[in-house]
Amino acid sequence: MKSFYSKKSVTPIMIVLVAILLVVAGCSSNQNSTTATDNKAVPKSITMSWPRDIGTMNPHTYNPSQLFAQSMMYEPLVSYQSNGKLTPALAKSWDISKDGKVYTFHLRPNVKFSDGTPFNADIVKKNFDAVLKHKDTHSWLGIVGVIDQTEVVDDHTFRLTLTEPYYPVLQDLSVVRPFRFLGAAGFPDNGDTAEGIKEPVGTGPWLLSEYKQDEYAVFKQNPNYWGTLPDVQQVTIKIIPDAETRVAAFEKGDLDLIYGEGVISLDAFNQLRENQEYTTQLSEPVGTRSLLLNSSNPKLADIRVRTALNQGFNKKDMVEGITSGLEEPADSILSKNYPYTNIDLKPVTYNVASSQALLDEAGWKLPAGGTVREKNGEPLEFELIYDKTDPIQKAMAETIQAEWGALGAKVNLSGLELTVQIKRLKANDFDLYFWYNYGAPYDPHSFINVVASPGFGISETLSAVPNKKELDQQIRATLSSTDETKRQELYRSILTTLQEQSAIVPISYIKKTAVYHKNIAQFVFPANRDENPFSGITLNAQ
Amino acid sequence: MIGYIGRRIVAIVPIVFIATLITFALIHISPIDPAEAYLTAAHIYPTDELLQQKRHEFGLDRPLLVQYVHTLGNIATLDFGKSYLTNQPVWNEVVSKLPATTELAFWSMLFSALVSIPLGVLAAVYKNSWIDMLSRIIAYLGASIPQFWLGYLLIFFFAVKLDWLPVEGRGDWRNLVLPTMTLSMVLIAVYTRLLRASMLDQLQETYVQYARMRGLRERVIMLKHVLKMAIMPLISGMGINLGKLLTGTIIVEQVFSWPGFGRYFVEAIFNRDIPVIQCYIFFAACLFILCNLLVDLVQLYMDPRISLKGRAKR
Repeated sequence: MKSFYSKKSVTPIMIVLVAILLVVAGCSSNQNSTTATDNKAVPKSITMSWPRDIGTMNPHTYNPSQLFAQSMMYEPLVSYQSNGKLTPALAKSWDISKDGKVYTFHLRPNVKFSDGTPFNADIVKKNFDAVLKHKDTHSWLGIVGVIDQTEVVDDHTFRLTLTEPYYPVLQDLSVVRPFRFLGAAGFPDNGDTAEGIKEPVGTGPWLLSEYKQDEYAVFKQNPNYWGTLPDVQQVTIKIIPDAETRVAAFEKGDLDLIYGEGVISLDAFNQLRENQEYTTQLSEPVGTRSLLLNSSNPKLADIRVRTALNQGFNKKDMVEGITSGLEEPADSILSKNYPYTNIDLKPVTYNVASSQALLDEAGWKLPAGGTVREKNGEPLEFELIYDKTDPIQKAMAETIQAEWGALGAKVNLSGLELTVQIKRLKANDFDLYFWYNYGAPYDPHSFINVVASPGFGISETLSAVPNKKELDQQIRATLSSTDETKRQELYRSILTTLQEQSAIVPISYIKKTAVYHKNIAQFVFPANRDENPFSGITLNAQ
Repeated sequence: MIGYIGRRIVAIVPIVFIATLITFALIHISPIDPAEAYLTAAHIYPTDELLQQKRHEFGLDRPLLVQYVHTLGNIATLDFGKSYLTNQPVWNEVVSKLPATTELAFWSMLFSALVSIPLGVLAAVYKNSWIDMLSRIIAYLGASIPQFWLGYLLIFFFAVKLDWLPVEGRGDWRNLVLPTMTLSMVLIAVYTRLLRASMLDQLQETYVQYARMRGLRERVIMLKHVLKMAIMPLISGMGINLGKLLTGTIIVEQVFSWPGFGRYFVEAIFNRDIPVIQCYIFFAACLFILCNLLVDLVQLYMDPRISLKGRAKR
């Protein structure tokens, strides 16, 4: 044996081991990846990560295209700004007929697509018609169901005729998809963009200059852009599906910006927030996390039970404790930064004694020695379903379970996959359910629409509310109203009723997060939840 | 030999048939409707009308038997249809993901072989020495550290703290180092111990005593005779692992943003992208069978006794 252990015999083996170590150690040349995503050579450039590939960049389709990327290249006729203000984009102005059924858009002159071709009424009609060819696919957007006719009036005037008045036409036209405009060169030969596009050609401030599926996308400024170009000259999107890797890439300096909703864990956000080298920023509320108390369940049909549950948990402590301040306790179903929602609604405050009294009054009594209230031998017991992949929902569900348990209401938790959850919501097969509204620019009209329309689960949740029919009538009147004052009054009435009924319990306002390095001097969140943030970025001079 | 290979390749047909049948059944047993999953991923509320339209578009409203027969027909012609998610031909997408996965699989396999073979040999030859202890520690670590955690640790030290290597992505050789090390760790752990045990077994064989009696040098005995026999179980293990690596290393691809097959498949599962799942199963079944065949052929080549057995059977 000993003869094997000679220097001579061990040498080749050791050489191999050393060679391997050298390969590893050879990495110490301090050179980083030199892929096409290396942005440092371009002044005024930033790199951001995104969990998924940007997709096919077809403005008229959904998956797998990412909304933020579509919004970089394609523009709407009307733009949605803070507090719901609608400003001209590709339409410099518009006229609405008195009956609210005809919208005439005066298109901005001298607008060109990124390939230099002109933007005019013909291409607007071509895009509208391509979208409307697949009405079923886009039927989720209210305007699609009421468009009767699209018409080219002249080179720079486009007319939209509706079958009935529908006030949120402009809001619907400001959403990122499907009503944005692809240049003629991008259309397939048969004109049906649902089957795909030839190339992404838009009027927006950015054009896609380099792309490698699932790896990166580089956007450069569109030299033909009609408006003021953003301060950032180049944007690189790195596709990083894992949240922890995203944070590591940011800390290493490979990323300048982390942006979005839930793109990094709460722990990671807090850790970055404490680091003086970075700036963290939270947006205005972009949506509300609510809990549906299904009134079609006989136990929840009683408003006293719903109110007791609503005021029977410490929302403030729960939201702050679980989200570390990333979300804000919500007093109303819709935050005040949407149109028509800046109204003072009476918040439901935490009051255990009142909750217990209400449950007693409703006939739900604690049996001697028992922990669960009963009425006619029936226990006060509910099932709360939550998304098992969402740690915040899970933690909140557990807190609610504990707090309501102390009141004498037993809550059983069921963690489900998102699609299964939605299925049960639609089938009205639930007691308690975490629900989210759509955010700007979809709300408040999309929210009230689902309150009145069966099939979304919300109308069903409210079915035992005593004045549901009246509520539905008010909603229909609101959506077709052409009188601004009347519409505001209707909204006030609808939102007040919903607040009083406690069938939709607001929990927290969700916010977008942005974490960035000091090379970014200013960051402004877009008002539209789905828009890209790059126009609102100002960089420090380099 | 050709007949043997031919028979093994023909065996792919029933295995693929069974695999597709099981997959088809599992997909349809699942409570998640692919049309619903598609709409949810697209941030579109799945109304009944939309669901109906999507189901029709995907062919999910046809009887199950018709759907299955249609699927089999397509597989037979290597036409896997279009992805529900991207609307692109599945086969093209799969082919585009293969280079990244193959690259990572190749380097991981090579790296683990280059480390585990010398380490395994040394651990066996110097049983209970420091090198044996070292191999044991590596084996414990490799077997017990979860891959995602190891990935994060390597990223933290080598990419963030030391700034030697990139955090993620696919680019030049530097991008390969961390994912390769992460994948190799567990392989090294297994292979080293496997080779050590096999070497120790072989050292008890009479041919080793005979060789020593003949006065052959210890190095020649070890490297030329013992290692040749002892490496057989390692080759089997590598064959199985090659199949696993080539069908995608989901966690590592996720942690290192490696644009390979594993990530693609995981996304397909989440979105119930049936054409992609079916293509993956077909591909994986074929690949595992071919890897096993490759292992058998290598073993036939290295150990003529196996070859003789095969011939005797015929």
